[in-house]
Amino acid sequence: MQPDELALSFPCAGDWLTGILSPAGDAPQRGVLIAVGGPQYRAGSHRQFALLARSLATRGIPALRFDYRGMGDSTGEQRDFTDVDADLRAAIDAFCARVPSLREVVIWGLCDAASAALFYAGQDERVKGLVLLNPWARTEAGLAGTTLRHYYRARLLQPDLWRKLVSGRFDWRAAAGGFFRLAGKALRRPASAPAESPGLHERMLRGMRAFGGNVLLIDSGNDLTAREFLDMAGASPAWRRLLAAPQVQRRTLAEADHTFSRRAWRDQVADWTADWVRAW
Amino acid sequence: MKPGAAAQPPQPFFLDGGADARFCLYYPPASFPDAPACRGAIVYLHPFAEEMNKSRRMASLQAAALAADGYAVLRIDLHGCGDSAGDFGDATWDSWLADVDRASRWLRDRLGATLSEAPAIWGLRLGALLALDHARRAAEAPAFLLLWQPVTSGAVFLTQFLRLAVASQMLTADGGAGGGTAALRTQLAEGYALEIAGYLLNPALAAAIDAHDAGAMPPPCPVHWLEVVPEAGRPLPSAAARIVGRWQDAGILVDARAVPGPQFWATQEIATCPALLDQTRHVLQPLHHAAG
Repeated sequence: MQPDELALSFPCAGDWLTGILSPAGDAPQRGVLIAVGGPQYRAGSHRQFALLARSLATRGIPALRFDYRGMGDSTGEQRDFTDVDADLRAAIDAFCARVPSLREVVIWGLCDAASAALFYAGQDERVKGLVLLNPWARTEAGLAGTTLRHYYRARLLQPDLWRKLVSGRFDWRAAAGGFFRLAGKALRRPASAPAESPGLHERMLRGMRAFGGNVLLIDSGNDLTAREFLDMAGASPAWRRLLAAPQVQRRTLAEADHTFSRRAWRDQVADWTADWVRAW
Repeated sequence: MKPGAAAQPPQPFFLDGGADARFCLYYPPASFPDAPACRGAIVYLHPFAEEMNKSRRMASLQAAALAADGYAVLRIDLHGCGDSAGDFGDATWDSWLADVDRASRWLRDRLGATLSEAPAIWGLRLGALLALDHARRAAEAPAFLLLWQPVTSGAVFLTQFLRLAVASQMLTADGGAGGGTAALRTQLAEGYALEIAGYLLNPALAAAIDAHDAGAMPPPCPVHWLEVVPEAGRPLPSAAARIVGRWQDAGILVDARAVPGPQFWATQEIATCPALLDQTRHVLQPLHHAAG
């Protein structure tokens, strides 16, 4: 029978973080820390992280999911993904303290938690693997370019759009305004772009370079965030080289949306994660 | 009021184990030199599906504030929700009612003789509707109900949730030939579970939500009813005002107020509503003085 999950409270810079440990196996050496992205808490959208942790535990992989300071049930001031290094370290400390056999930690992060994991991983030698799902690489110029490439192309192929055009129900003024606004942003040289997310791409690249472990990159086919990341990486020789390295594996779930909001998609992600964690 | 002892951090734990495990957070009451050991106990009931996730921060902030004011607060994740055991698709209204009983009993056992009344129940949205159903069934009436933006009509609420599925169908390639919420209700009535916004809605739970109406559940205890409105000075929504009026006519002590702020249970980003936090602390003060 599967052991019961444990509710944990552990300190982080004067605050208290709440986490759930899903214990597993007999003296497991490798465990998964589920980092939370976006406006979520440790159970995840439609409980994805709770279900993932349980699924990993039944396959012998212990998992810990937790809330950063100021999120969910943890105390402290709210913060975003650029400022959670101390939280990740506190969680890994708590994980290792509760599972003394643990030697290696994989950080699993969706959306901006994937970016936060990239920032952190190279600073902690206990972190040996990263599962990055739909990493958050948004800059205003990048978003505009990706929307032009993917959304407008998709719109042009929709029968509904052409029906509206023929019947005269298409709002030309709004559509043209949207298109030109985006085109202006996409065509602007990056150097003249506002510093709206100072060095996000550079910081992600630095993190990826600094991390020597294994990486599993999973992207959803039906997700603009994933497309932005892949467009960014595809346009960068440095990223292309890093992603082509043998320690990087790629999976694409063509039908899935950003949060993997169907059971079949969640299960597929859990399967890929468990298989990969046990494969090295 | 003299300041209380330094607030302790919330204590997370699982109530029972295996299939009965329910995730809980206990906020021990701060103690005051001039007051009884504990002002009262409060069980918090979260809202439905993704609204629970979005409102987690507000529930944390309010629970901590009430504990600092001398209340013992217990938050429980209902069956199949959050970190509790079970799948969302297995949850039923009755399993949720049983969880409310368990939470209330836990606080009674924990606090023992320091508690003079049954724990109060505080609920947000569908959690408030569940609180009303619990109150009328409980062997001993709760000390009071604290209702945040209660769902007044389960049927209307269910329709709104089903619309998420309709919207999702319209965005997929087959163009939403689904027939709207009426068709989804038919599928539920035929006993099919529906996967909506990532949650598996079981037909028994849907039927129970559909059948519950706040107006038909006048509570056997005082009620604090708080609504969040877009700006200061707006009145209570008419559906809420009608029910409040009817209950007051029936002799129930109802204090209803509207506070300005964002609909934090539904916003895209995590939002807080400071006016609601303040007003809740404010309305719960006189109870202590009246009782003490």
